[in-house]
Amino acid sequence: MTRVLSFLARRIVAAIFILVLMITLTFVIYWAIPSQPASLVYPNAPHLTEYQIHQAHKLLGLDRPKIVQWADYLSHIARGDFGDQWQGTQVTGKQTLIQAPISSTLFAKTRLTASILLGGAFLVLVLALPLGALAARFQNSIGDRVLSLLTLVAICLHPMVLGLILRTVFGDQLKWLPDSGYCTFLHHHASTAPPSQSFGFFGVPTPVCGGPLPWAQHLVLPWVSFALLFLALYTRMSRASVLEVLHEDFVRTARAKGASETRVIGRHVLPNVGLRILTMIGMEIGTAIGVCVYIESAFNMRGLGRYAVDTFAGTNGLDLPVVLAVVTMITVVVIAGNLIVDLLYAVFDPRVGATSVRLRRTPGSEPVVV
Amino acid sequence: MRRFARDRASLAAAVALLVVVVASLSGGPIASTTLGHNGEDLFPYAVNLSFKPVGPWTRVPNVHNAQSLADSSLAPPPKSAGRALLILGADGQLGRDEFIRLFDSGKASIEVGIGGALIAALIGVPLGALAGFFGRWLDAIVSRLTELVMALPMILLLVLVSVRLRSTLVPISIRHVMPPGVFEVAVTIGIFTAFYPLRLVRAQMLTLRNAEFVDAERMIGASNFRIIVRHLFPHLLPTLLVWGAVAAGTNILLEVGLSFIGAGVPITTPTWGSMLTTTWGTIYAPRPYNASVYTPWLTIIPTLAIVITVVSLNQVSEGARRALAPREL
Repeated sequence: MTRVLSFLARRIVAAIFILVLMITLTFVIYWAIPSQPASLVYPNAPHLTEYQIHQAHKLLGLDRPKIVQWADYLSHIARGDFGDQWQGTQVTGKQTLIQAPISSTLFAKTRLTASILLGGAFLVLVLALPLGALAARFQNSIGDRVLSLLTLVAICLHPMVLGLILRTVFGDQLKWLPDSGYCTFLHHHASTAPPSQSFGFFGVPTPVCGGPLPWAQHLVLPWVSFALLFLALYTRMSRASVLEVLHEDFVRTARAKGASETRVIGRHVLPNVGLRILTMIGMEIGTAIGVCVYIESAFNMRGLGRYAVDTFAGTNGLDLPVVLAVVTMITVVVIAGNLIVDLLYAVFDPRVGATSVRLRRTPGSEPVVV
Repeated sequence: MRRFARDRASLAAAVALLVVVVASLSGGPIASTTLGHNGEDLFPYAVNLSFKPVGPWTRVPNVHNAQSLADSSLAPPPKSAGRALLILGADGQLGRDEFIRLFDSGKASIEVGIGGALIAALIGVPLGALAGFFGRWLDAIVSRLTELVMALPMILLLVLVSVRLRSTLVPISIRHVMPPGVFEVAVTIGIFTAFYPLRLVRAQMLTLRNAEFVDAERMIGASNFRIIVRHLFPHLLPTLLVWGAVAAGTNILLEVGLSFIGAGVPITTPTWGSMLTTTWGTIYAPRPYNASVYTPWLTIIPTLAIVITVVSLNQVSEGARRALAPREL
């Protein structure tokens, strides 16, 4: 237990360091790109006057030294406060600002994306393992080859197209599931979608939007889209891993002791392969968030992925607090994913001690799906 | 080479790839000349009243504009008009030739794929070689930076850079060879995928720099530059080749993603990605399938082109890897 705890402590220190580095980098890049924050404060002004630019900088605190702005932001982040967005700022008569706070929006969007990621990753794990094991068990059979080809083809299907096909078939035509929108897991949160009374979960109508059932209903199609996409990748990996593990000494020992083939695969091979796949999923979280951009868009959800694209593409100029919030949140999600995977490893696999502290990634692994 | 040729699947993939590349780079103009129209010509009679395009192998009146009647139907085409053959049907509401557009798109997509990989190699190989060869603080900085950037979703970085660099880079083009916008997307993708060759080269350099032949070179007084370029670089080529084929495929898929975000090649230059967006819309306006306006062909045709290209690229890379390192099958 102490081993895991000290490992955890070191990882958290490293995570904080990476986070500060990321925020600093974002500040530096923002300062390097020419931008006009005043145009976000006075969006209706055709030409910004000298006074307006000066006033906007003063109101937003941009007239302070850069190091102070940076330190101020860090101290806010340390308290979990993401600040206020610049977009949509109103200047009152007394020259004070009315701004929308970022935190609540950001957390709601992150919960949505985390829902897609967790459910999707679970589906991938549950489906890729047996499929890969079967393909490896019957290596080079017709089924194995068909599966290999199918997975290659599936990699080329774009998540956007896949999501919209599922939405058309199961949402619009068969009407088995809601075709778009999202309902929160808990009742009391404001939902992002109007109550969908007309759609039922295989006929069970839902009166209100909010609660576990409507939540799951709206997420089934995104989960399936996510899973189908990554399934292609992970079935191949799982097949390769099973083939590799089958040659390990402990498998030979198990066979020698007279274990049946089912027991060898189910009890000795699959847990090993499962851990490996979990590691890969943990390391591919960045890519997975990228995929979420399309899945969220295909189902008209407004999650972290879509929020990030809208912020980064901002044509009116970059909204620095939102950019920082998005970068921080994505970094936290990525680090947390890596951390959870490493912890599972440290707990379940006694061979692994405290491994490397930095963000790791399998060398040469390409994010094929983007 | 002989080992590669014995691998039937890889050989087939290499042939398929060659056909796709040659057809994409030269097929557009050839098809335009043979059929007598190009990929930009409009065929108002190739769509029906609700603007649903015709399917493959249809002959439509060879006129490029038509009068609308009061009931919003089109006036009958003039008797003198000949017929134009649309081999793969029309591309959407505008009624352009899907067959020719497929070639034109292929040119842009394949140039993005290969160009992106080349630019990534141009950036990544020298940096990786330096980091791996000299090590220490240079290696530390480059490695940490790589890990940091690779942890973020790449598509976001692409969007960030592509939106800012658009106005400067999009106009860069080579007439008839490289359409406008292709260079911009290739550069953006190249910058952010440079980390893959960087890491590969760095890892190889770390083992190579202590090889006996490097010590031998040092002893006869060769400079570091000479050692890297003349003696170490040839060792990297096979790895880079294997990576490059996969990367070109990945880049083609990235381009599709950028088209869906609207941050890719401008709409005036067709790509395989933008062919898909005609049916499905962009992330800002996603469109569930509407059977009265679109045909499945508009999805099947570009998807098939992407699948054939990307699958062949992967297979060729796999074949090359096996041929170059026969022991680790």
